[in-house]
Amino acid sequence: MNEIGSEHFLFLSAALFIIGMMGVLVRRNVLIIFMCVELMVTAANISLVAFGWELDSLSGQSFAIFTIAVAAAEAAVGLAIVVALSRRVKGAVDIDEARSLRD
Amino acid sequence: MENNQPLWLTFIVAFILMNVLLVGMAYMTWFERKVIAAFQDRLGPTRTGPHGLLQPLADGIKLLGKEDLIPGAADKRVFYFAPLIVFVTAIVGVAVIPFGGVIHLFGQDINLFVTDVNVGALFILAFSSIGVYGIILGAYASANRYSLLGGLRSAAQVVSYEIILGLSLVGIFILSGSLSLRDILARQQDTLSIGGFEISNWYILSQPLAFIIFLIAAVAETNRAPFDLPEAETELVSGFHTEYSAFRFSFYFLGEYISMIVVSLFASTLFLGGTGGPGSGEYWGLGILYLLLKTVLFLFFYVWLRATLPRFRYDQLMGIAWKVLLPLALLNIVITAFIRLYANDQIPSSWWRTIVAILAVVLLAMVYQAYAAGRAERRTAAG
Amino acid sequence: MPWDLIIFYMVATICVLCAVGVVASNNPVHAAIFLVLSFFNVAAIFVMLGAEFLAVVQVIVYTGAILVLMLFVLMLVDPDDLPEFHAARPVQRYVGVLLGAILLLEVGVAIIDRTVTGIPGTASREAVDVVGGNTQALGRTLYTEYLLPFEIVSLVLTVGVIGAIVLAMPERLGERIANRRGTISLGHPRGTDFALPVGPLEESPIPGSARDEAVMAGPQEFGRELVMVRDAEEQPVVDLRR
Repeated sequence: MNEIGSEHFLFLSAALFIIGMMGVLVRRNVLIIFMCVELMVTAANISLVAFGWELDSLSGQSFAIFTIAVAAAEAAVGLAIVVALSRRVKGAVDIDEARSLRD
Repeated sequence: MENNQPLWLTFIVAFILMNVLLVGMAYMTWFERKVIAAFQDRLGPTRTGPHGLLQPLADGIKLLGKEDLIPGAADKRVFYFAPLIVFVTAIVGVAVIPFGGVIHLFGQDINLFVTDVNVGALFILAFSSIGVYGIILGAYASANRYSLLGGLRSAAQVVSYEIILGLSLVGIFILSGSLSLRDILARQQDTLSIGGFEISNWYILSQPLAFIIFLIAAVAETNRAPFDLPEAETELVSGFHTEYSAFRFSFYFLGEYISMIVVSLFASTLFLGGTGGPGSGEYWGLGILYLLLKTVLFLFFYVWLRATLPRFRYDQLMGIAWKVLLPLALLNIVITAFIRLYANDQIPSSWWRTIVAILAVVLLAMVYQAYAAGRAERRTAAG
Repeated sequence: MPWDLIIFYMVATICVLCAVGVVASNNPVHAAIFLVLSFFNVAAIFVMLGAEFLAVVQVIVYTGAILVLMLFVLMLVDPDDLPEFHAARPVQRYVGVLLGAILLLEVGVAIIDRTVTGIPGTASREAVDVVGGNTQALGRTLYTEYLLPFEIVSLVLTVGVIGAIVLAMPERLGERIANRRGTISLGHPRGTDFALPVGPLEESPIPGSARDEAVMAGPQEFGRELVMVRDAEEQPVVDLRR
């Protein structure tokens, strides 16, 4: 291990992904869960770009850009849902029971 | 293009640049006070040193000596480093600004810039995006409901205008084919011959709309008058730096001035040809002088706006960003792309009909939107 | 001195420590700050991988916009109103860490003992430099090979923006009184509208003011009937004599 190779980056990506996954499973606050999901998406991005670097291909970076864009849309919509849920019902909502924004 | 100079040389150049920037920031306060005074037919600082030139020093000593209050309920660690975020991210922006090419001095080849990143223009935008956190976290750490609201409003304003700032520059990126500031500078040294005249290809001539949008967005992005409602609330009720006193407050305040200077340098490099001017090819000193003159021109413009215009209300401010400047910036991108394709003869003849049709639809949509907005305004004014 | 290895270890260590900070913080704002730091280091990793454009996109879009949005929601929504997941038993925390470590070891072994590699592409450093740099090469790839996904992603973003606006929009004014808990909407259509006898229909920020009592008493205190509609087009004329 005296020269940097894609294993280093892949290991970092795995570590970040697993930490994010632990966060999603253990935490209760929905916004922190969101942040952990973003962490997982970023870990996947690192892995994409690392493979692209190793194989001299720009596909990795292209897909990472698509991932970032889709994660942005997902974060916006997810946070809007959180805001809508928090606004309509006074008090905490049990997320497993909340099926529709109508009630 | 750039030479691979030893790392210590880059550090020296960076150190000199940083110090010049910090001194410039201090004297920017003096400059502003003198210019506003001139606008208001008075003198400004005159007693501290000749022409008040030692005023920044006096201000600094005063600010250092004031009591440093921290609200009891404040989040201490976040309170400490929130102003630093604004300050540091503003200074870092100067790293990509080219002050010249490669010169030979003291037996070494020295670059007159700290670095030339492939994505130089976006680098400055990226760091101002991070500067937003200084505002939000400072507002949050103050444990004051009104500071929080003021800070969030200010942050929303900065983020909106940042988008517009980026979009207004896309036209330049299309024309120059590169994001690197040195490349953009180099392209502006080309001479065009129009009529019988030879003029430099400064992008203010080919992108006038982008220039205007950039100026407005830059003023709003740095929270300067006339877009400083969230800040001016400091005078009225609150603002995100209410709870900050003494030196911490000065970090916000000076961070704003530094970002003004960096944005002015940025605008001079992008639109006014940076170090270009008569004779700047042979004498690098002249190049730096031209860049400084153009920067001072922009700074004067900033101070002029502050001295002259009343501030915008918050919803007017956001309305301008999203309803006026954003469509204009997009229009500029489309026109620039179209003109570039046309100049390179890359438009197939079958496209003309489609283009005219699309333009007609867009024009109709714009006219309808303006009409509907006018009707809505009249209704809310009457109802 | 393998400088890039040293820098990689520094950046990766800070990245992982900040990620642990995100998961372990009690205060959500601290978690957000740690996430910002982590993403900043991820941008540094992208620069090391030769993806400079992606690094600035990561900073501008991810840290500069998405996380700012999360901070906004964090600060504007009353924490008691947030949706809640079923509580985790405390022992799950330790079991979780243990399982995570085991999983990490497995993945590590899989990475090191990798036998399958992909097909090399054509964008070596020299080829990228010929085109003019990472941004130019990426632009060419995006607009030729991946044009369709690019356009579809822009459609996704547009739909996301519209969806977010529709979901987070305030409902009819009349319904708000029952559900108000003092949150303040930056997107209030009229800002601070003092034309109504009682400003915006939520608690005023100044406690104990006469406005508060008027709001809490409800609209029946006024001498005339207040007809509240969200869209003036529905009821252009309000007959106040009734």
